Amino acid sequence: MVDSYRPKDLKEALSIRAEHGAMPLAGGTDLMVRYQSWTGTLPLFKNSIMFIGHLKEMKYIKKEAKDKTSTLVIGGTATLTSVANHPETPVVLKEAVLSIAAPALRNNATLTGNICNASPAGDSICALYALDAVIVIEKTGSRREVPITEFITGPGRTVLAESELVTAIKVPLKASSVNNFTKVGTRKANALSKLSFTGVADYKNGRVDSIALTFGAVGPTVVRSVELEKKLKGLSGSEIETKISAILEDYSTVIVPIDDQRSSAVYRKKVALNLLEKYLRELSRHE
Amino acid sequence: MGAKISIPVRRIDAKEKAGGWAKYIGDYEFDNLQHGRFLRSERARAKIIEIKKPVFPEGYYYVDASDIPSSGKNNIQMIKDDWRVFAVDEVRYIGETIAIILGPDKQKVLDLLNEIEIIYEDLIPAFTFDDALACKGGAVHGTDNIFAEYLLNVGNTDNAFKNADKIIEGKYETGFQEHLYMETQGLVGTWEDGKITMYASAQCPFYIRKSVAGTLGVPLGDIRVRQVTTGGAFGGKEHFPDVIATPLAVAVNKIKKPISMIYDRIEDISFTCKRHPSKITIKTGLDKDNNIIAMEIDTLVNGGAYESSTPIVLQRAILHGLGVYNIPNARILGRAVATNTFPSDAYRGFGAPQGLFAIEMHMSHIADELGLDTSDFKRKHFIKTNDITITNSKMHDDVKLEEMFAKIDEMSDYSSKVKKYANDPVKGIGIAFVNHGGGFTGNGEQVVIQGVVKMKRLDDGKAGLYVSVVEMGQGLQTTMRKIAAGELGLSIEDVVYDNPDTDIVPDSGPTCASRSIMVVGFLVQECAKKLKAKWEEGVGTEATHQYVHPEEFVWEQETLQGDAYPAYGWGINVVEVEYDPVTFEVKTEGVWAVWDVGVAIDETIMQGQSSGGIIQALGYASIEKCELKNGAFMQHTMADYTIPTSLDFPKVETVFIDNPYKYGPSGAKGAGELVFDAAPPAYAEAVQNAIGKRIYDIPVTPEMIMEALNK
Ligand SMILES: Cc1cc2nc3c(=O)[nH]c(=O)nc-3n(C[C@H](O)[C@H](O)[C@H](O)COP(=O)(O)OP(=O)(O)OC[C@H]3O[C@@H](n4cnc5c(N)ncnc54)[C@H](O)[C@@H]3O)c2cc1C
Repeated sequence: MVDSYRPKDLKEALSIRAEHGAMPLAGGTDLMVRYQSWTGTLPLFKNSIMFIGHLKEMKYIKKEAKDKTSTLVIGGTATLTSVANHPETPVVLKEAVLSIAAPALRNNATLTGNICNASPAGDSICALYALDAVIVIEKTGSRREVPITEFITGPGRTVLAESELVTAIKVPLKASSVNNFTKVGTRKANALSKLSFTGVADYKNGRVDSIALTFGAVGPTVVRSVELEKKLKGLSGSEIETKISAILEDYSTVIVPIDDQRSSAVYRKKVALNLLEKYLRELSRHE
Repeated sequence: MGAKISIPVRRIDAKEKAGGWAKYIGDYEFDNLQHGRFLRSERARAKIIEIKKPVFPEGYYYVDASDIPSSGKNNIQMIKDDWRVFAVDEVRYIGETIAIILGPDKQKVLDLLNEIEIIYEDLIPAFTFDDALACKGGAVHGTDNIFAEYLLNVGNTDNAFKNADKIIEGKYETGFQEHLYMETQGLVGTWEDGKITMYASAQCPFYIRKSVAGTLGVPLGDIRVRQVTTGGAFGGKEHFPDVIATPLAVAVNKIKKPISMIYDRIEDISFTCKRHPSKITIKTGLDKDNNIIAMEIDTLVNGGAYESSTPIVLQRAILHGLGVYNIPNARILGRAVATNTFPSDAYRGFGAPQGLFAIEMHMSHIADELGLDTSDFKRKHFIKTNDITITNSKMHDDVKLEEMFAKIDEMSDYSSKVKKYANDPVKGIGIAFVNHGGGFTGNGEQVVIQGVVKMKRLDDGKAGLYVSVVEMGQGLQTTMRKIAAGELGLSIEDVVYDNPDTDIVPDSGPTCASRSIMVVGFLVQECAKKLKAKWEEGVGTEATHQYVHPEEFVWEQETLQGDAYPAYGWGINVVEVEYDPVTFEVKTEGVWAVWDVGVAIDETIMQGQSSGGIIQALGYASIEKCELKNGAFMQHTMADYTIPTSLDFPKVETVFIDNPYKYGPSGAKGAGELVFDAAPPAYAEAVQNAIGKRIYDIPVTPEMIMEALNK
């Protein structure tokens, strides 16, 4: 029997989750499509569901400062529109979010939903990997934080247990002077990704101080190689420039996409590397 | 744009459609409505060994071929009747109807459907042109997989090739295209007063009547078809509703209750007809002054598993094979092949876009090869009034292509941009010239259709208009009223034109082939004149008018010789693009169109046709990829089968020139399909010029551009 629940607050939501394992439904923009059935019949949910989109405690975005670092904390039911509109949202995340669907959908869909859906083509995920986002997970009586790279384990798969809910996303706010998010979709608006790219980097004293390069929809999960990024740290702009082809060669071994109904493996790989090259050229000019 | 009738009026259906209270098939309520869903083949080609069914509870039914009354036939009476109402013993394509499962509760119907298990024995399917021609797995149709084969010939092609100074060849391919009308397919069949009535979202109520009557083996008059407000069709609701209506009628006949069959979107994309894919090879011989002296064209279209209207689509493809050019010696071989893909059928343009894409790209490639300017080269070969056509008759139209070229050149700055972008690494501009024959091919209007219209004086100074052509978004409710009202001196609100009901309106033929205004509109104009002459006889006075074939147009259907069409619409499109060398995506910077549709019956409606047709065609040319995987369409959701949004293409700038046609209402010619024809080659040529590599196939996806650049 499939039941549906509408908790009045987070506490109740967590206890329903503990007791029934009911599947959370926030904006429902993934779930209602995934379980759609014949028009006029109920969606084919296999398990009970719990509406959480209305829970006010998780509908917030706030900046937290501790010591010298600050973090943007995005509540578990914050909509994509609210993320895009928040003045502190890092530019790559803002652009990623604005590349998703159309305004009506973004008004309803949540950032958490995009992450928990864990689609290889989830656009915000590509940016959140680059931003070192941390997922805040709660269950009755306990709370844990997991880096997004560990949170998502495969297409549609996460480490979330049946009794848990994602209650927030923490996005460290770091200095970043060269930012790029590019989505290559199936058309110019309201499109799903063939691939996406995020690059964020910062220089200190003329040398790359921090850098993150991520690729969406070119593998089962977002591709990010901390190893390869390490090689770039400490380089000057002109050193980057001379190393571009070597860097591209390195990345060509980690980007191994597939053919599907939206695009081909060859195209995905070529364009991913092209976007990387374009970004590196821009980076090399900044210092 | 001088004619009075061209002055725009507010569309008669604007308010109810924009306001959301227009009633579509899914909005109607019927007492005791049952819901039907098809049991479909999951295999492209297989024997059905066994169908394992659960026990059906009371009130739920499994309807299949065994329920067809003995007077009837398990065939759908379309142009051919080879398409089976229900598959029996073997299946020929994925999605083929095997049975209808129906009952009062949708979920229960779905559950029953899921419990059915079909045991197949797979056979070897044929999907591609090569598979079809090699009769892979044995012929799907006849002994050779050829649904139709035609040969057109003008002049002496072999001789001319012998004298050619140079010979240039090219091979051009186009893919499937899904109609993606806003409203999916849907019909409700009812049993009213001992008679089957079909409420249908459809283009051709009388086609449905004919096919249903044929399947049940009852007189035509025993079937009633009522068109309901139709949310788009584009050819997809020309023959395809018959494929739903016939099994539905068998079910209604069995249980004598109303049953609805309304497709979901994914079902609609997966299991309805698409535009015919084509593969066209063209060989051209030129003399030393670069004049074309000979051309040989080999045209293949994929008809899928059943013939349906495929031969006629093929005819149009080859009859438009030479495009707008005067080629003194030419031979065109056309073949339509059978495969195990979903049967292809009508789609705006009906074969012409495929033929025109090939010839336009080929002309562009010749010019490129010879180092000539495309438009100069094409213009040099323009057909003129009285030139000989591929069907050995004369071009009767007053061809105004030169005047139209001057216009579009001025609007788009084409000539100077061609020069400017010649060495530009990312920008390109393309041009295409087309014509499109209005009405049925050859003597179809005279022999097959023989359309009739009726008008009547009603109370309160109103007039009733009774025709079988339908409003499907193209504006016919408004334009037909304009024609009738104009003759009668009434306001358009005083002309009553309800959605056609076969028990009420005469058969004026189907809504297709760009014929509604040109052919039926003319009948309406003439009928209105008759009614006006009798108006004073009072309320109830009627007039009818039937199609009379103009004597100057002769046609022999057996040999396809004579006047293929009484008149053509003509058009030029220019498309300007810029491509991104990083992602290979193309940005369209401008689209221009000049059309000769005789006279536009309402300028705003024609602007809508122009913009809509062009953008639909640009989707076909760029992003509407529809590939098969083991016989199933891979892009079967709206997320994956992407059609353009307003961000993909900019505003289309359109101008019409007047060129009245004697037998069209106020001089109007066919326009609905013409507007689709020119954009694909114009776009492909623009991309070709931007990337500096030739384009032979559409859709020109970024993936394809990348590959072309790698070559
Ligand atoms: C027309 C259309 C276009 C789209 N375009 C894009 C696009 O361009 N790019 C893109 O990335 N996506 C796209 N999507 C997918 C979807 O809209 C996004 O993934 C969206 O962010 C999902 O958010 P939601 O709140 O609607 O999720 P829901 O559907 O409510 O949930 C999605 C998943 O997250 C889980 N979940 C939600 N909240 C929580 C929580 N607090 N704790 C634990 N689990 C939770 C749910 O159980 C479910 O598994 C599109 C969808 C549609 C229908």
